[in-house]
Amino acid sequence: MHELWRALRAWRRISFTTGGAVFTAGVLAVGFAAMNTGNNLLYLLLGAMLGFIAVSGWLSEQAIRALRVQRHVPRAVSVGQELRITYAVANHKERLPSLAVELIEGRLPGSAFLPHVKAGDVAHARSLNTFVRRGVYTLDTVTLSTSFPFGLFRKERDVSLPGEVVVWPRTDRSVRPPSLGGGRVPRTGSQARGAQGPRGEYRSLREYRAGDDPRDIHWRSSARLREPVLREYERDGAETRWIYLDLRTEAGDPAEVAVEVAAAVAAQAMAEGRSFGLVAGEATVDPGEGAGQLERVLDALARVDFTTNAPRPSPPVDPASCLLVSVDGMAGFGDAVVVGRTARFDEPVLNGDDGAVAA
Amino acid sequence: MNLRLLHRRLAVLMAMAGLVAFAGGAGVEPFSAVLSALGLTVALVWHPSRELSTRMERVWLPLATLLVARALLHVFVIRDDVVIPVVDRLLLLMAAEALRSLDAPNDIRLYALSFALLLAATAYRPGVLFLVAFVAYVGLATLGLMVGHLRRKAEVHGIREIPLGRSLLWTTGGLTGVILLVAMVVFVTFPRVSRGWAGRGETMATSIAGFSDEVSIGEHGSRIYGNPQIVLRVEFPDGLPEGVLGLHWRGRSYDRFDGIRWSRTPRIPPSSGSSQWYRERWGSSVLEQRVYAAPLDSRVLFAIHPVLDVESENGIQPLFDNVGDFLYWGSGAPAYTAWSRTENPPAEELRAVSDGYRPSARHFLQLPDLPPRIQTLADSLTGGHPTRYDKVVAVQQHLRSFQYTLELPATARQTSLEYFLFERRAGHCEYFSTAMVVLLRAAGIEARNVNGFLGGEWNEFGGYLAVTQNQAHSWVEVWFPEYGWLTFDPTPGGGTGGERVESWFWPGRIFFDGIQHRWNKWVLDYSIESQAGIFQRWFDMTNSQPVEQVSRVTERAVSSWWGPVLLLLVVAGGFWWARRHRRALPLESRMYLSLRESCERAGIPMAPGVTPLVLLTRIQEGCAAAVGPAERVIDLYLRARYGRRVLGESELREMSQALGAARKILRVKG
Repeated sequence: MHELWRALRAWRRISFTTGGAVFTAGVLAVGFAAMNTGNNLLYLLLGAMLGFIAVSGWLSEQAIRALRVQRHVPRAVSVGQELRITYAVANHKERLPSLAVELIEGRLPGSAFLPHVKAGDVAHARSLNTFVRRGVYTLDTVTLSTSFPFGLFRKERDVSLPGEVVVWPRTDRSVRPPSLGGGRVPRTGSQARGAQGPRGEYRSLREYRAGDDPRDIHWRSSARLREPVLREYERDGAETRWIYLDLRTEAGDPAEVAVEVAAAVAAQAMAEGRSFGLVAGEATVDPGEGAGQLERVLDALARVDFTTNAPRPSPPVDPASCLLVSVDGMAGFGDAVVVGRTARFDEPVLNGDDGAVAA
Repeated sequence: MNLRLLHRRLAVLMAMAGLVAFAGGAGVEPFSAVLSALGLTVALVWHPSRELSTRMERVWLPLATLLVARALLHVFVIRDDVVIPVVDRLLLLMAAEALRSLDAPNDIRLYALSFALLLAATAYRPGVLFLVAFVAYVGLATLGLMVGHLRRKAEVHGIREIPLGRSLLWTTGGLTGVILLVAMVVFVTFPRVSRGWAGRGETMATSIAGFSDEVSIGEHGSRIYGNPQIVLRVEFPDGLPEGVLGLHWRGRSYDRFDGIRWSRTPRIPPSSGSSQWYRERWGSSVLEQRVYAAPLDSRVLFAIHPVLDVESENGIQPLFDNVGDFLYWGSGAPAYTAWSRTENPPAEELRAVSDGYRPSARHFLQLPDLPPRIQTLADSLTGGHPTRYDKVVAVQQHLRSFQYTLELPATARQTSLEYFLFERRAGHCEYFSTAMVVLLRAAGIEARNVNGFLGGEWNEFGGYLAVTQNQAHSWVEVWFPEYGWLTFDPTPGGGTGGERVESWFWPGRIFFDGIQHRWNKWVLDYSIESQAGIFQRWFDMTNSQPVEQVSRVTERAVSSWWGPVLLLLVVAGGFWWARRHRRALPLESRMYLSLRESCERAGIPMAPGVTPLVLLTRIQEGCAAAVGPAERVIDLYLRARYGRRVLGESELREMSQALGAARKILRVKG
């Protein structure tokens, strides 16, 4: 029964707008007055008002039926930035256009509006949403909604359109530069080979891409292949910055601040041109550098969950070479940024209680 | 036109439709109506800025307060109809709302006020104008609500403009049709559980001569002026009877005459004819009359005498009084069906009447003090005739030799019955009926004066008899034992040679009155009986019936509807032709032709053979100032017409602007 009800609700939903509620009350009042007085002109008015309701129901149905929706969502967006979801709506009706259709994502506040989609045509609309928390937001349905033509009733239809939006944590939180014994972490464990980097031991040749340092062009090979070829080097593993995020705390503001601190440290490393990796609970992002690596780290950070039952930190490298980001702190790491339990999510500057964290 | 402006204009037009609807029902005080209409008209073309709008509100507030005080004065001090002052306030508020800045989100208030006017109009019994305003209101509301909705949505989502094509107009037209259709279906099928609505403030028709409880023949020094106001509309469901224009629509009878005035004696003993006599002894056919009467200040039901039965078609309750007059209880315009005998019994039967029951002699043989020569005249007229019937006919014949005139006697002395009978020998119907009753009573025959209407105008369009106040008439009823009261009319020519006041639009009035009659019958007075009748007919048509009957029903339906259907087809055909004709020419050609017309009006010589370039030369010679824009119009026209180039939207716009500029210059020159 519950499923049937859900299916029916997904098929069509009708609700009153404020104007519609007043109008319906008016219809009842006019109907009551007509029956009570026998005034035929009131019956005429009643008929016209019911006519408005009938036309409203029919046109709103025409507005949202036979529409195919495609959604284009950016891969990810950071907290505080606008997410633009673009919809391509195709009207498969033969004659009738669709007017004043809103597209609403079930779990997002923003909506897109299509004033007009001609019959047999495709129109585009976009919605803007801003997120205040990082995470993975599942998109399952798009609701086609309209109160056309008179704004009396809202008719809605759900279109199943699975998808997700990954919201990265902010990376602009101010954190002090970590000190990890001169900033070098020895190459150990699974990291048998260093990450690709601008300088170091020779790794391979590859084609030149815009933005590459021209000093790295291997002229001999370029002459032979008749196109610019670049030398790639392996970065020294000792320069890799491992960020360890301690998940052993309950979810809340301090935990989110810790995530943002980890993201900020990763962004800092990318800005310095360093290689960096992440360990967060069971998730590990192998060291790398550049914007792509930052995206991978932010992706991982977007998905982490805090729980007091999380496993004790066991990084793949010597903890002494890791930067710990934690709410409560823990001994044994090369450096630690302790957020503290009083950290506030809406304050971009940390005021740590142990003095270990600086703005 | 942007959405805000379009929306405001539509809301203002809705308000105007509401105003017209109310004016069509109750009428409005000229001052407030004109002021409001002026405000609304101004609001169509002028929209104050936000600052000015705020300043204007300071003026509206005290005015509105004054009107509230006036309404309270009407209710508690003058104790007059409160609706009109309240409506005046509505009108003021409506004008105030319409004259607000376009930024003001007051459209809902305009909708509500215009709807309130429409609602208030239903409290009355409005005419067909209400229907026109109602249809316009529905159309405007359909478009207005749609545009308003799009406007609000566009503002919420930051969309500057939503292109509204002509298709929206067609859509609106279609939707309006659907809404009206639903309204009609609901109207027809919704079960009527209460009796009809009387209608507030319904104006009683002015009494006409010979139509009250006291009728006088004493007026003098003037003439009787006619009145074309329709008081009865009569349908004959069994078909048009013979001599329909000679039917006497009986109203009231009068038994007491004091020499000048006729009146009705209160608490008179029963003196009507027995319904059994009328049913059994009168051999003529029974005529069914469906009467829709205007409300008069005498609550009388008019029908042909003798009435066998009366059934109400709306909320009124027919009553039968002691003297056989039909009255009614209830308010509003009476609608009823009456069944009557159409002719007096044959003369042979009436001559054979023996003595039998007679009504009260004290009342129906009553006479004032009369000059002896009236008695002598009565004796001389009736003395030679053995039967009651022949005596009556003799008196009637004598009076029919007189002259009928609407000119009243010149002096008070000449108003007497004696002067009429022996000196003037001319007068209006009341003189004739009075004289006949007096002469018969003087001869010992029970008689009474009766008034009502005679004849009418047959309305071919509506299929009914329209009886106007022009047809007010007075005649005589004479008692015949075992037959009851019989009708006799001593007025020469039946009184039909009298003056008719016809309005200058009388031929059109017949048509419009037909529409008004249908409106009254099928809308204002639509009742559970009408509803049952429609369903019965529908049931009869859809169920098995003899083929002959079905075809007759169909034939009748076709004959009554072919007119409107044909009219509709002609209008639709004309519209289609006009559209097609217009489409035959592309826009640029139409603009070029418009330029040619403007040149012609400005006095620039034009002939069918003038080519575009020659036209340009002539404009150069005749009105050099218009050459610039005209050249642009012609250039674009030539490109499209002979260069086979499809002009883009911007070029067409440019062409239109150039045409406008050229026409403006040419108009000044012309």
